[in-house]
Amino acid sequence: MNMPIYLDYQATTPTDPRVLEVMWPYFGELYANPHSAEHAPGRAIEARVEEARTEIATLINAESREVVFTSGATEANNMAILGAGRFRASAPKSRTHVITLATEHKCVLESMLQLQREGLTLDILPVQPDGLVDLALLEQAITEDTALVSIMAANNEIGVLQPIAEIGALCQAKGAWFHTDAAQAFGKIPLDVATQHIDLMSISGHKVYGPKGIGALYVRRRPRIRLQPLFFGGGQERGLRSGTLPSPLCIGLGEAARIAAHDMTTDAKHLSHLRDRLLQQLQAGVPDLRINGAMAERLPHNLNLTFPGVDAQALLASVPELALSTGSACSSAAVDPSYVLAALGLSEADARSTIRLAIGRPTTADEVDRAAARLVSAVQSLRAARPAAE
Amino acid sequence: MPKVTFISPNGERTVLEPPAGLSLLDIARKYSIDIEGACEGSLACSTCHVIVDPEWFDSLDEATEDEEDMLDLAFGLTETSRLGCQIIVTDELDGITVTLPSETRNMLG
Repeated sequence: MNMPIYLDYQATTPTDPRVLEVMWPYFGELYANPHSAEHAPGRAIEARVEEARTEIATLINAESREVVFTSGATEANNMAILGAGRFRASAPKSRTHVITLATEHKCVLESMLQLQREGLTLDILPVQPDGLVDLALLEQAITEDTALVSIMAANNEIGVLQPIAEIGALCQAKGAWFHTDAAQAFGKIPLDVATQHIDLMSISGHKVYGPKGIGALYVRRRPRIRLQPLFFGGGQERGLRSGTLPSPLCIGLGEAARIAAHDMTTDAKHLSHLRDRLLQQLQAGVPDLRINGAMAERLPHNLNLTFPGVDAQALLASVPELALSTGSACSSAAVDPSYVLAALGLSEADARSTIRLAIGRPTTADEVDRAAARLVSAVQSLRAARPAAE
Repeated sequence: MPKVTFISPNGERTVLEPPAGLSLLDIARKYSIDIEGACEGSLACSTCHVIVDPEWFDSLDEATEDEEDMLDLAFGLTETSRLGCQIIVTDELDGITVTLPSETRNMLG
């Protein structure tokens, strides 16, 4: 059987062969503990891990000491939100209010709800119909009591890019800390913790052609952002994340960041060209399809499309040669329609007629053409089989 | 002579009038207040961690990077945490109040 055409690059990406190559030796003969400062093999691996940390920091204009390795973006989001919320709530000059958006990733919303259970006040702000934050509403919501604002850089379902620099400036004006979940944005679009006033940023390895099981949290040092740690132990990672670092994975994420820094512009051009090609062909075959989320402020590789009257599950089942999904991998196993689409104002019926298409660095024009043809014919035959009620 | 108040972890207040120009760590030592100060004020530990009264925090000179790095390792850190060895009590700080945390971590072992 042929490998299906993979159109789910926002769920995960393949590990880039260049990343695999630099990681291998650290699974094998270079196995020493990077925290073993008392012998040469340990120190050599520590030095290599620190190089990787520098690559990650450079891509977001941070210092390497501001990058803390984690197991992924979910852990980084938990560490940032619970850590900052608890720290600021318990401080003598206590701040007990936190803000996020309705379209955030589950792990951000769940961490925020946990803070609410612990006694903090939580505002979950709505988004505009195009998926973007309403800056005027946000400005009103941030007060001198706001401990933390968490708003993602790029959405995992609809791909929209939030105005990070403007959000950062609003937070800074009130002394609120600004966390952004950049799992989908890191290495894809330019990010700069200085000019965008970002205090905390979550990063994922496997969304950027690095390995699974590794991520990072950027934690600003000047002025210092402090977190109550979730893990206790040997005090690794500035005391924020005790535990032995998985050196092969750290080095892999560093290499993925190095490649992204080099290839970001060409990748984006390649991807937006193919994405537009895919959209044009789908629009030609299904003229009434609808695009969810702002098209201008969007990741270059994402489409989120509603095919009115077509059940998305049935559509996916009729194109087994394509690997794509209806929403985020984290909630697509659930039967509930996407809460992200609901936040844009889509009806439940429209949300159930929606698929996410995400192309990636390895995607070819031929794959795009074949996928578009298959989807168009599948939509047409599903509609023919069940004449529209309207 | 500036007045300094130390509040112990169980809430006991001690008001002192030390000569101006000593650090909080020096003062604690002089008057037998229970602060460890394992590295003798050389910015190599966080055992003289104190929590400064928020009313006074902004009157202090900002902490240096080295002090912040040591504070990163302190237990029970708060937004107004400082190292006692780095705060010199002058007449301008007359009335300053600090609380001692319930635990310290001596990384010097």
